[in-house]
Parts: sequence; C-alpha cells; structure tokens
Amino acid sequence: MHENINPDVLLELDRVSHFFDDRLVFKNISLKLPRGEVMLLAGPNGAGKTTLVHIMTGLISPTSGTVLSGVPSEKTAYLGHHTFIYPGLSGLENLRFWAGMYRLHKSLEELEDLLALVGLKGFMHENARTFSRGMAQRLSLARVLMLQPDIFFLDEPATGMDAQSRQMLRNEISKARHRGASLVWVSHSLQEDLDQADKVLYLENKKQAFFGLTSDFKDVLQERLH
Amino acid sequence: MTPRPLALMAKDLRLVFADGAGIVQPVLLGLILVFVFSLSTPVGHDVSAQAAAAIFWLATSFAMILVFNTLYSSEGSNQSRIGLLLAPMPIQYIWIGKALAGGVLLLMAQLVFLPAIVVFLGQDEVTAWPMVLGCILLVDWGLVAVGSLLGAMSQGHSARDSLLSVVIFPLLIPVLLAGISMGSYFLGDGSGEDLGSWIGVVLAFNALFTGAALLLFPFIYGEY
Amino acid sequence: MKDNSSLTSLAGPLALAGGAAMVLAQYFIWVYAPVEVTMGQVQKIFYLHLPVAWWGMICFFIVFCASIGFLIRKSPGMDQLASSAAEVGLLYTTLALATGSLWARISWNTWWTWDPRLSTALIMWFIYAGYLVLRQSIEGRRKMRMVAAVLGVVAFLNVPLVFMSARIWRSIHPAVFASEGGGLEPEMLTTVIVCVAAMGLVTAALILLRFRQKNLQERLWSLYASDSRFNG
Repeated sequence: MHENINPDVLLELDRVSHFFDDRLVFKNISLKLPRGEVMLLAGPNGAGKTTLVHIMTGLISPTSGTVLSGVPSEKTAYLGHHTFIYPGLSGLENLRFWAGMYRLHKSLEELEDLLALVGLKGFMHENARTFSRGMAQRLSLARVLMLQPDIFFLDEPATGMDAQSRQMLRNEISKARHRGASLVWVSHSLQEDLDQADKVLYLENKKQAFFGLTSDFKDVLQERLH
Repeated sequence: MTPRPLALMAKDLRLVFADGAGIVQPVLLGLILVFVFSLSTPVGHDVSAQAAAAIFWLATSFAMILVFNTLYSSEGSNQSRIGLLLAPMPIQYIWIGKALAGGVLLLMAQLVFLPAIVVFLGQDEVTAWPMVLGCILLVDWGLVAVGSLLGAMSQGHSARDSLLSVVIFPLLIPVLLAGISMGSYFLGDGSGEDLGSWIGVVLAFNALFTGAALLLFPFIYGEY
Repeated sequence: MKDNSSLTSLAGPLALAGGAAMVLAQYFIWVYAPVEVTMGQVQKIFYLHLPVAWWGMICFFIVFCASIGFLIRKSPGMDQLASSAAEVGLLYTTLALATGSLWARISWNTWWTWDPRLSTALIMWFIYAGYLVLRQSIEGRRKMRMVAAVLGVVAFLNVPLVFMSARIWRSIHPAVFASEGGGLEPEMLTTVIVCVAAMGLVTAALILLRFRQKNLQERLWSLYASDSRFNG
C-alpha cells in the first residue's frame, strides 16, 4: 500500500468502492492529493465521509479499488472527533505513551514545549479526566503535531472546540502546509471552510458527485442554487 | 526505549492501579467463591485436595474474565483503539501487551487465592513450591492467551462479562482439567503419574492458542 | 447471490431423498438388523446415536471451514453457512447426548459417566451453544461475524485437546464401566452404514434450507436498509 510512483503525490485513490455487507457505501472514488494541498471532503450526513477517511488512512481496506500512499504510517496523522486520550493518565503521560507507540525519542523538555504550544503546560501533571473538551482536543493536537506528519486527516476536529483552540488549530495547520504537508479535511460547515481548501471532493448519492478545484466547486454550488 | 508491548502493558497496569477497582473486583469475587465453597462440607470436615484445586482454578477463571474486560475497556472511553490501530506497529503487539498485563494481574489475584485455599479449605500440605509456581505460570499462560484474544471482543462495551464467560470457559476445559489435576497432586492427593501428560496438554494448548491468537487477533480487534 | 441459489435449490431434492432414505433405514433397523442379546430392543438407539454424533462433528467441521472462508473472503455467505452448520450441529449434539445418556442408563446403569467421547461431545455442545449466543449478543453485524468466525476456528482446533484431556482425566478416575467394545454383527454394521448415509442426506438438506433462509433474510434486510424511504 505504501508505494508510489510520483513522489509529489502523497495519496492516490483509484476506483475505490466500499460495501458494508451487501450495502454500498460509495463507489468509484478516484483522486490524487499532491504535496502541500488541502482537500475538503464534504457531503450530506451518512454519505460515508468518515469511512472514506478511514480507508485513506489504511485503517480499513476498501472492498475494491486501490489506495496508494506516499507517506509511511508514522508520518500520517489522524485528528478526529475522538481524542484517543486515556482519562486515567496525565497529559504528559498520554503524550509520552503515544511517543512510545510511534518510537519517537522525546525528552521531557520537548514534550513540555509541545504542551506549552497548545497551552497545557500548566496542567500537564493533571489527570486528563479533569480536562474540558477543548483542552482534550488541544492535547490531541499536541499528539498529532509531535509526529511532524506529512499528511493530516482531520475528521471534524473542531467539533466542541472553543474559539481559541480553533484558532490554534488553524495556525498549526497553515504552518504544516508551509512545511509541505497535505491535508484531508472533513467539513460540515462548508461555507466556512471552503476558502481554505485547494480542492473539494463532494460525496453524494453513493458516488463522487464532484472532485476538482474549489473555484469550480463554487460555480457548481451557484448553479445548484438557481 | 521500552519495547512497545511492554509499554502497552505498563500503560494498562497504570490505568488499572490508578482506578483500583480493576484489581480489587476480581480478587474479591475469587475470595467469595473460595469462602462459599468452604460451606460445601460439614463443619470440621476437610475439603478434598481435588475440590480445593478446582475452586482455585474456578476463582482464577472468573478473575481472568473480569481482568480482561477491564483491560480492553481502557481503550473505550476516547476510541484510543483507533489510535493504536493507526500507530506503525503490528496489531499483535496489543494482544501481547494485554496478555502480559492480564498475566500480572492474574498472578496478583492468585497470590491472594492461594492462602485463601489454605485457610478456608484447610489445605496445608502444599509440596514442592517451585514446581507449583511453574505449573501455575504454565496454566496462566494458556488462560491469558485465550483471555486476551476473546476478551478483545468486549471492546466497545458490546459484550458483557457474562457473555465472555459463557464463550471462554468451555474453551478452557483442557487447561482447567490439567490445572485441577496438577493442583490436587501438589495439595497432597493423587500419584502424580499423569503429571507429564498434563504438562504436555498444557504446552500443546498454549502453543495452539498463542499461534491462533497471533493469527486471528487482527480480525477481532481491527476496524472494518 | 446467483451461485448460492443453484446450491440451495438442491435443498428440496435432498430433503426428499433424505426422507426416503430414513424410511429405508427404519426397515434396516427394525427388520433387517438382529436384536442384540443383552440389551434387547434398546440397542436400536445406537442407530440414531451414532449418525447424529458423527454428523454433528462434521457440522462443526463445516463451521470451521466456513469460518476460515469468511476470514479470507469476508463474504456474508460463508458466515451464513457457518451459522447454519452450527445450529444443525448443536441440534445433533443435543440428540447425541440425549440418546447417549439413555444408552448409558440401560447399558451401564447410570445417566452420565465420564467417557472421553461423551465428555468431548458435552464440551463441544457448550462451546457451540456459546457460539450461537455470541452471535445474538454482539452489536454490529460486521464485528459479530468476525468474532464468530474467529471462535468458529479456535473452537474446532480445540477438539483434539479436549478429547485428549478428557481421556487422561479418566485414567486417574477409572470408570467402573468399560466402553462398549467388540465387533458388530455384519448386519448391524450394514444397518449403521445405511443410517449414517440417510442421516447425511437429511443433514445436508437441513443445512441448505437454513442457509437459504438466512440468505433470503439478509437480502430482505439489505433491500430494506437501502430503501431511501427508510433512511430519511
């Protein structure tokens, strides 16, 4: 799965279809994600956006079609609605555990810097159980930033975040973009997030209803409204 | 750097001890079983060595079910399971980590059950301690191999303790029979002439279920 | 789905053939085979006991194979086959245990004895009863199918160890009764073979019928699930 011909394409899907048992989720999704681009993944509820992201990350294999990834799994970051945080461990312990799982050698200072970056340094020895939703999401963001990923999968991470955390997420994402990282972004607030994307993949009626440049997508939207 | 299965085990043990209930509950249940079983004979009469060994392994089995239910529930609260599956490592590491953590917790529980057998069931002729320990470790290996494989289905709270025990107990019959048989010998009953065959059964069981678990665990724990 | 329908269409003819073979088997049991000297007519239980015990084990072997097939191909059909075979296998094992117990009562004057084969059958009964309970209890059909398939594999791999341990267990607790030994009369042997064959046809018909039911149920369910009116 982790092989790629073109080094500038980080992710390539070719005629990917997926079934849950006999029920079709979507069919014939094909796309290429070049380095440094942001792709917005949109569609109505139940269109299979999260399933498609899971297929892109390699978490599940599609029923048919191929997924080619130019990024090894240790450089792939997934930030979803769920934070992956162990409530029984402190913020620091959580971070240290995930560093271990990714075989990253992080000193205490490095981990503290990361926590300072997301504004949690003062709470790092506290049990993650006591964290608010926003704090938990920021800890999750620190975990993702620690990996220095080449590709981000963001599945509505902003849900339940306060304005400050949301701004922090935006800043860090744009920094990563400048570094050359690519992004796949599942969005529910299309109008709000559209301007930050280079490309849009719109899922509807179990297929790829639109895939292309954001500007073209805006035209399609306009046509639909009239 | 700590090998990842060990890091997983350390994390789970930390979570269990931070909470406390994860180890206290199985120990209590086992103690109650041993105590209630002491009522099976009239006051002043001894329980046979075989019966004592049987109740020891029954208590251990129940403790094992509770332990693995707790261990696999630790990934439930924030879907950390997805995070582990995305991490660049074989999924089997999770099985190893949970099995090791389960083994440690089970041994701690047995450390309480053993004196309880002596006290409540009047078994005071324990012979050959190193051999006893060796046999307990051998049977425990089989128990945690199965427990860590099938306990994984309790992730996401879709399976309860009672379901786990109904499914797991019959599978454990070969090692439980071996454990009871060896136990009754060490408690001063039986000739021990079958000891070799029982160790053979346990070794075969451990090999079979360790192999099967390594092969099949991704199917149970994976995302689909 | 198409390949399944040609297979399941065999169910009807198999059931008819099985019914006819069972009638023939009755002739063999009651007329052809001689009455056993010591046990009398009760010995005829044997002609039901042996085929159900035998085919019960085969059913569990089918569960094993279908489970492996499911894990490799992820096709719902394999899972339906596994669960059909498990149901029939459990039914047969129940019958085998009941008839075995009757046999034991008459032959050894006890309802239950620690016989390796009997004990193995009982433990298998527990395991596959647990398998069917599990199928009902796990939320999420995809997860349930995976877990059931894994259990279907390990349960069967466990059979030799269960049998072995039951045999060693018995040797320290010598049973009062020797297991039924000795050769069968040639007529009896012929009768047993006829009964096993007849029961085989019935088994195949039962599994296929149940398989077809599950298949149709699944299709109905997915039609219902994909109908947009119900999805809102």
